[in-house]
This record gives sequence, structure tokens and C-alpha cells, in this order.
Amino acid sequence: MEINEESLRMKFLGKWGRWACVHWAKALLIALGITLIMGIGASRLKMEMTFYSMMPKGSPQVRDMKKIIENFPAASSIVVVLEAKDKSDRALAEITVKKAVDILSMELLKAEFSEHIIRVQGKLDLNFFKDHGLMLSKAEDIERIRRIYSDINLVPLFSHLNDDFEREYSGDEEKLSEDEEIAIAQFEGLEKILKVMERSASGEEISAEEASAAIDRFLFGSAYFLNRDSTMALIFIQPTFTMNDMDVYVSTVPLIEKVIKERAETLGVSAGLTGILVVGKDEMVTSEQGLALSMLIAASLILLLLIFSFRMYSVPLISGIPLFVGILWTIGLAGFVIRRLNIMTAMYMVVLLGLGIDYAIHLLTCFVQERDEGNDFVSAVRNSLRKSGTAVLTGALTTAVAFFVLVIARSEVVRELGFVAGFGILSEFLAMIILVPALLGFRNYRLSKKGKAESKLLKKLTPGFRIIPSIGVKIKNYPAFCALMMLAVGMLLASQAGKVEIEGNMMNMEAKGLESIELQDRMVEEFGMAPDVMSITMMDLDEMRSLGKRIKKLASVKAVESLTPYYPSVEEQSERAGLAEKFEAQVASQKPKGSVDRESLIEEIYRLEDNLLEMSDLAFMAGMDRMFRKLNILTGRNEEGEKVAETVIDRLIASIKENPETAAGLINFQKAFVPLLKEKLINMANTEEISLDMIPPFIRDSYRSKDGKDFLMNVIPTQNPWDEEYRKVFTGQLETITDKATGMVLAANQMIEIASQDGIKAAIAALISIFILLIIDFRNIKLSIVTLFPLLLSFASLFGIMALAHIKFDFINIIAVPLLIGIGIDDVVHFNHRYLLEGKGNMDRVVAKIGRAVLLTTITTIIGFGSFIPSIMRAMRSTGIVLSIAMALAFLYSILFHPAVLIILTEKLGLNIKPWNFKRREK
Amino acid sequence: MKRSRILTALLIVIGSAQMVQAEDALDIVRKADAPFIGSKIYSISEMTVYRSGKARPTMEVESFTMDKNDKDHSLTIYKKPARMKGTAYLMIGDDLWVKFASTGRTRKLSSSAKKNSAGGTDFSYNDMGESSKGMSAKYNVTMENRNARFDGEKCYEISFSPKPGSEGTYEKLVAYISKENYHYLKIDYFEAGANIKTLTFSDYRTVGGRDYPFQYVMESHTKPSKTEVVTSKVEFNSLKVQERYFNTSYLEKIK
Repeated sequence: MEINEESLRMKFLGKWGRWACVHWAKALLIALGITLIMGIGASRLKMEMTFYSMMPKGSPQVRDMKKIIENFPAASSIVVVLEAKDKSDRALAEITVKKAVDILSMELLKAEFSEHIIRVQGKLDLNFFKDHGLMLSKAEDIERIRRIYSDINLVPLFSHLNDDFEREYSGDEEKLSEDEEIAIAQFEGLEKILKVMERSASGEEISAEEASAAIDRFLFGSAYFLNRDSTMALIFIQPTFTMNDMDVYVSTVPLIEKVIKERAETLGVSAGLTGILVVGKDEMVTSEQGLALSMLIAASLILLLLIFSFRMYSVPLISGIPLFVGILWTIGLAGFVIRRLNIMTAMYMVVLLGLGIDYAIHLLTCFVQERDEGNDFVSAVRNSLRKSGTAVLTGALTTAVAFFVLVIARSEVVRELGFVAGFGILSEFLAMIILVPALLGFRNYRLSKKGKAESKLLKKLTPGFRIIPSIGVKIKNYPAFCALMMLAVGMLLASQAGKVEIEGNMMNMEAKGLESIELQDRMVEEFGMAPDVMSITMMDLDEMRSLGKRIKKLASVKAVESLTPYYPSVEEQSERAGLAEKFEAQVASQKPKGSVDRESLIEEIYRLEDNLLEMSDLAFMAGMDRMFRKLNILTGRNEEGEKVAETVIDRLIASIKENPETAAGLINFQKAFVPLLKEKLINMANTEEISLDMIPPFIRDSYRSKDGKDFLMNVIPTQNPWDEEYRKVFTGQLETITDKATGMVLAANQMIEIASQDGIKAAIAALISIFILLIIDFRNIKLSIVTLFPLLLSFASLFGIMALAHIKFDFINIIAVPLLIGIGIDDVVHFNHRYLLEGKGNMDRVVAKIGRAVLLTTITTIIGFGSFIPSIMRAMRSTGIVLSIAMALAFLYSILFHPAVLIILTEKLGLNIKPWNFKRREK
Repeated sequence: MKRSRILTALLIVIGSAQMVQAEDALDIVRKADAPFIGSKIYSISEMTVYRSGKARPTMEVESFTMDKNDKDHSLTIYKKPARMKGTAYLMIGDDLWVKFASTGRTRKLSSSAKKNSAGGTDFSYNDMGESSKGMSAKYNVTMENRNARFDGEKCYEISFSPKPGSEGTYEKLVAYISKENYHYLKIDYFEAGANIKTLTFSDYRTVGGRDYPFQYVMESHTKPSKTEVVTSKVEFNSLKVQERYFNTSYLEKIK
């Protein structure tokens, strides 16, 4: 069956090999010329290594989200998280973080940052709330406030406050949970009032500022963005750039970060940065670092492998130079055409190391074998390109076609990958074909000049992997056993394939241990802040009010944030103004009484403690940990409810009970407290109509677009929306009310969906194209079909292993599936070509000759893919794992299954696998 | 004329078939409800709430339920953990009271609180009440799939829609009832078109001639939370359940 026919391809490659090794300088010049042109392309390339840059641009959700980012710059705020280093004294820690907030805020507003920073917000402007408190409260809340402050002398005030706690919260942990943040702030304020009262009762002089500060804390909470125990604080920085300005934020965020961290060190706090810009920057940095590491690992391992297997120190140069030249050409082409590299295409550059080197290995192995057989140098180079070059060309074409079909994808990212990967393979092939014979020629010229004998050279060139020939013998002797065994393994794994899942949580693909991502979780935990939200933009605020009310009722929605609470409608303002006027009249008539009924006060403080204890029980049951801890501190209880510490309440009660002189102190406190509280309440009852301009810019700009035409509403989910199962409920419920919601979560979801569809579509297209190429190459349908078997078995087995090992497909590794088809088919193609050359009964020879090269190329490809495994970016790691397993499987089925099947079909069952025209000529 | 007769006959046949199917579904639901319905049920259970996968302290509760004057009566007393020991909830129809062990005070909750979480669990007070009268009391039932499967077990998939005027109901429920022994296997609760929580039953044991699930789990799909209830003891028509327990003066005496 040996084929003596020499195809056009073989003739051309043979002639080229001969010319290039003889005229090696000219061949090198050709390569240099191409490299210079591609260098221009490479200089035009941008690195865009963030998930955000990979979002499908055509998706309406992504378009809306990008519009929001552009129109609402506050959405791109950088959040600085400050934490006191010494927390042993809580009060001191609070002072330290507040001081750090003030100093850092001032420093960030200096002229040197004006180019990058629009606004720094370390504190909320409470004056707006102090001046319009009632106009900003719902009618039912004004009624509630009216009841609480119907008499602001100490005993009635505590009594009404207790009534309010009992009416609003007792036994209703859901209501308590809804008001958790406000309630916690109120408890903190209450604690401060009680402390001032305790000191006054004991005869200490109390300043108006202290009393005023305590009342402010009770009425309005802290102006600072503090965590549950006031040992951490936040600063919001609104930069001049947004997430859509990648070049700017990648270079500027590190500068801001450096200044803040260094300054924070001197202020007794640690600082960390988060927000979408910081996450984006971190993704970029970690991806680049991960890629650099992968590139280094892959290059070093491949180098070592080549030295070990060829025992020739010049092989890394002969194969490495064209390898890197091929990568440069690919980068150049990408620079000319798509102008950027994203995470996927940049990762592919590392993969290309493992793929491109394969061509060199095949060519060099064949060259070594030719020399082993006693051929002279030029003939060896010519034959290696003739024999091996044809299979390499077919392999490169099939792989490139499988990659190019990705351009049919919906998503830009996948199309870019198809382009870069396809041209990458062709560039590598071309670089190898031009440079390997030229470099061999150059080496031969140098060695000849030094007078080194050929025999010494030959000995060095003998490759290892002695186990391969014995495998060939076993397959030749027991083909049925080998085929059935591999088929059984494949079927067994395939039975599990259906269970493989797709990763729906994009956060599981991010780098582990990234400060910006961990800080997001801490903000949820410590500050009760929202995780990722869904956003809706509207032009009509009234429509937004009504929509917000309906959305708020959904079980999957925790809260709805927009400008509407700060900017009530005309009707709301009119209704509230009436109620506020009544309230003002009620407060205005109040005066401090000249006495305090100590017995009644003690009773009310006991009652207050009971209410706090009951709310603490509810917080315990409802799992409101922040409130539970706060109330435990206030009531001196441990988690089991045992009294473990003396509290301000205990001291106050004991002091009032035991010391009759406290009466005077309490009266003094009442005299100071009542006018101050009265003044603040009257101020709050201001009925001036609220206009948009009155709203603090920090709040207004967060919810109003730059041009003032659109308004933003953020829907806060009840749990992490990155969780796929919950996201379905959340988005499903939201869709029953509006189809206008968008957000990073939906955009990411869209990306995962499109990637999955693209992955499947491209895989099918790749299979069809490869099949057509195989028919063209082998000119035999039966052989082409048989060639696909190992590939299909590899895939079924891969899915089975993934299911068993709980490895999920994600939007990165699923895109790589079509690549696997192109790469995985290569090994089988090499076996086919060699079998057609060697003829029937020579499968042991085929395995011995091809097996070594195929094993080596598999190892290099696995090194290429496997070099992603140490990456901290989990998407890269999973891609590395999945593709390495796939390559190992493709090799096993190619070497253990395919040769056995070929023997059975051609030698036992008489299947004709010769090319059509060869069969005709035979006749 | 002939055509209209055929049409009428056809409509009658279709209508009858639907009635038969509806009755059939109702019959299945009644059989599944049977173990939960009845007066004077006493039980001791352990409830563990898992939030974001982390178990909170397990609560041991003693429950007394009875049906009187067509009203659900239930008293739940917390035995563990120490923080909650002695805290008790009393429910009579739509009225709900809580007694806090930490303060010894009793509070009456508003009737709207019945839709809220019961003691921080993923069950609402309404969910608790539903079982004592059976699901068919508040909902119309429709057979969705006679050949459904849950956890490998053959079952009926039956959907429940609220009867007009029923209060405290969900938009829709979908129950999976075992074909073999009419055990509830799973109930999905729907609101605003989405499955917001799921109740699964397991460890059915025969007590007093009834098959009762000794373990059930309510998993919320809107919060990272689930509540596992493991019953260690249950008595039907129990002498331990006495009428005098179901009033606020008894509640106040609980320690």
C-alpha cells in the first residue's frame, strides 16, 4: 500500500527546504522583512485585559450599561476602605479613622489630583437632612416622629420612644431588618445621648457641642461612612474618567492607590481600594502578571523538554527563534486588523508557544530520522520538509480552519479569537517553514566551518521516548484489545458527560485573593452596602417613583435606590408640608420642665433595655449579625444572652437610684437637651419646597445623568446576584415589572450565554470544516470519518472527566472548545499520513516514528495550556486544566485507539483508505 | 344542527374529562394532606437555619397544635439555644403573640406579621398554619404531569392556585406527590412568576398510622438561606396538647 506518488505540496515543500537550507541567508532576510512589517502592526496593539472589555457590544444590556457608566460618572467611583490598625480602644479607633478620612479627603482634593479627581466624599452633607428632614420623610413617618416628640422632656421622650420601638419592631424581625441601617444608627445615637446624660447626672458640666453632637447622631446618624463598630470608614472618589476609559484608569488608579496607601500608613490606618475601576485595573494587572508567568513557565519547560529529547543545545534556538517570530507576526497581524488583545487572545499567545513548537518538533524529528538513515544534510532537510511538512501543512490548515470558523460567532471576543488563533497558526507554520531549514543551514555552515564530523552530530540528535516503539508492537499484535479497551474507557466517561455544568457565576472566574474583590465582600458585611445592583434609567421621576414601589415589593429585592426619596413629588411635598407645619407648632410650644421624675425615668430606661433586649433576640433569630452585636454591646450581653458587661444603662440606672443628687444633674441635662432638640426638630420641619439643586451633589450626581435628562434607579438584590440560581429568580421577578433593567450582572450573564452558544456553534462548524479538509487531504471519505472517531471520543471523555471532577465550563474555556477540535485532530492526521506512507503491516513502524513526535508535541501543547494553571485568575486556571486534560486525551486516543482501529479496518476488514486518484491509477 | 350537537357532546366530554382530572388531582392532594391534618398534634423538632451555607445555632422547639372552632391554634416554645430558651409564639387564627424569655414580656403582633418569617426561619407563620388544614383548603389544584419524577421517584406534579378570597396565599405552588404512597416530596412556592422557595420532605416514618416526614427543608431562592427541620418526636391526638395552653395567660407563665 506504500504510496510512491509525490504530491504537488510535497514537491514544493521539498524544493523550498533545499533552497532555504542552502540559501539560508536569503531565507533569513525574507523572514526579517516580514518581521519588520509586522512590527509596525504590533506597535498599534492595545492590551484590554478586563472582563468588561469582553462584554458583547451588540447586546442591549451591555449597551445600556455602558451608557449608564458614561452618563452617570458616580457609578465609576473609587471606594477607599480605611481600617484602624489598633482597635483595642473602639472610641480611639473611631477618632483615628475619622481623622484619616478628613486628612485624606483634603489631600486628594489638592491641585495635583485635579486632572484625575472631580470629587472626594468622606462625609455626607447632613445639612440637607437637618434642614429638610420632615419633607424627606413619608407621611406615616412624620406621624411617627410627631408621636415620639410630642413631649421632648426626658421622661415622656423615653416613654414615647419605647412606645415606638414596641409598636414598630417588637416581634417583627422583618420590619427591623428593613430598617436595619437606620435602627443601628439610632442605637448608636441613643448610646451617645445616654452617655452624655450619665455624665450630666453625675454632676459633670456638659457642653452644648457634646449634647448637640449626641442629638445629631441620634437624629441623623454619622456623617462619616462608618462600619458597625466605627473602626472602618469609606471615602468615595469620583474620578474624571469612567470604566469606558480603560487607558486612563489603568495608569491612573495605581497612582491614586499608591498615594492613599502611603499616606494612610502615617495616619494609623490601613487603606484598600475597590469599585469597578479598581477591579478592572486589578483584572488587567493580574491577567498580565498571570500571562507573563505562564509565558515564562511555558517557554522554560518547552526549552528543557527540547534539550532533553533532542540532546542538542542548538535545537531551542532552531525552534525557538521561528516560534517567537511566529508570535510576533501574529501580534502584528492582530495590531493591523483588530488593534487589541483581550484576555482570550492574549492567553492564546502563550498557547501558541505550545502549538507552534509542534511544527518544529515534527520537522526536526523527521530531519533526525533522515540523518539516522544516512542521508546527507541537504537531502535530510529536503526530505523532512517533503515528508513531515505535508502533514504539518495539513495539521496547520485543519487547525487554522477550526480556529477561523470562530468568526461566525455572535460575540466580538470570540470572533477576535478566531482571527488571532487562525492567523497565529498560519504565522507559526510559515515562520517554521521559512526559518527551520534556514537555521539548520546556518548551523550546518557553522559546524562545517569548525570541521565537526557528521557522525558525532547524528549521535547527539537521537531522540528519546523508547517506550513508544513497544507500544506500536503491542498495538500491531493486539489491535482489537487496544481498540475495545479505549472504546470502553471512552464510553464509560461519556456516560457522565451530560452532567457537566456551565459556570454561571462570573465572580468564580475572577482572581482569588484580589484585594478589590475581597473589599467588596467586606463592604457588604461591614457596611451593609449593596453588592452588584441592577439599574434602570428613566426620564420621568414620577414614573420612576411608581415603578420603584412595585419593584420594592418583590421578594428578591432588598431595596430600591434613586433620587426619589430625596426629591419628593409636588403632591408628596404638599402633603408633607402640611404635616410638618403641624409638627413644628407642636414642638414650638415645648419648654424644658424644671423637674425630672426619677422613678419614672428609671422605669422608662428599664423599659428601653427590655426593648433593646427583645430587638436583640429578634436580630439573633433573623441573623442580623451587625445589629445583634450592636445591641449586645448596648445591653452588655454575650451571644448566649448572659449579662457579661456593665453598660451605660446599668450605670445610669444605678446612679439615679442610688444617688439622689443626680436629680439636679438630670434637670441640668434636660434644660440643655430640650432647647437643642427643639431647635433641631424645628429646623427639620422646614417646609421650603425641595428642588433638585438643593440635593447634595454626591447624591444628586449618583442618580442624575451628566446632562440632567436621565435619572437612575438601582435595584438592590437580597443576595449576591452573581449566583446563577438566584440571578434567575431576581431577573425573572424584575422582568415581570420592567424590561428596562440592566447591570454588570446581566451583561455578564449575556456574555456567558453568548459564549456558550458561540462555543457550540463554532465547535459544530469546526467539525464540519475539518471533515471537508480531511476529505480534500486524504481524498477518502471512510478514512476521513475514521479520523474523527478519536476526536469525538476525546471530547466525550473530557466532558465525563469534567463532570466527575466538578470542573465547569466557563465563558473562557468553552470558547476554547473549537480550538481543541483543531488541535486534537492533528495527531491523528500525522498517524494517517505516515500509515499511508509506510503501508499495511507496518503500524509498529508508524507508531515508533510518529509516536515520539506526537508525544513530544502533546507535551509541548500541554505545557502551553498547563502554564495557565498556576495563574491566580481562576478563569485562566480552569482553561489551563480543561485544555491540558483534553490534549492528554487526544494523545491517548490517537496513539492507543486510532492505530488499532486502522489495523482492524484496513488489515482485518479490508477497508480501502487509499486516495481516490491513487485508487484509479492503481486500476 | 347535527354539527352543533357533536360540538356540544365534544365539549361535555372534554369538560367531564377535565372535572375527572381535577377531582383526581384533588383526591391525590387530600391523600397527601391527610397525615398533617388533625387535632392535637404534639412535636419536638430541631430547626437549623443556614445562612450563606453557615449553620446558625440549632433551635429546639416544642410545638402544640390543635384545630378548634375552625381556627388553627398553635403554641411553639423554644428550648434551645440558651439565648432563646423560654421564648414562645402563640398563634390563634390570624392573631399572633410572642413572649420573650429575655424580658418576660408578651407582645401581640399585627396580623400582617403572619406573612413574615417565623422566628428567623425560612417559613412564614402562614406556611406553618397551612399544613394543619391541608393545602386543598386554600388552593385549587390542577394536575400538571402524571409522570413526573423527583429524586428518581415517580410522582404527580400538581399545581395549586389560590381559591378566590383566600388570604395569605402564594401566587402559585407546585407540589410533587409520590405515586407510591402519596407523600409530599417537594413543594415549590411562586411569587411574581418566580420560584421563591422550595420545601422538600424526607425521612417519612409511620406514627399512629400516619406517614409523617421527620425531616423537611425550606430553601429560599431569594436569600442565601435555608431552614432544616428535624422532628425527633411527634404524637397525633396527643394528650399533651391541652386547650388551656392556647391563651396569653398561659403564654406569660412559660419559662
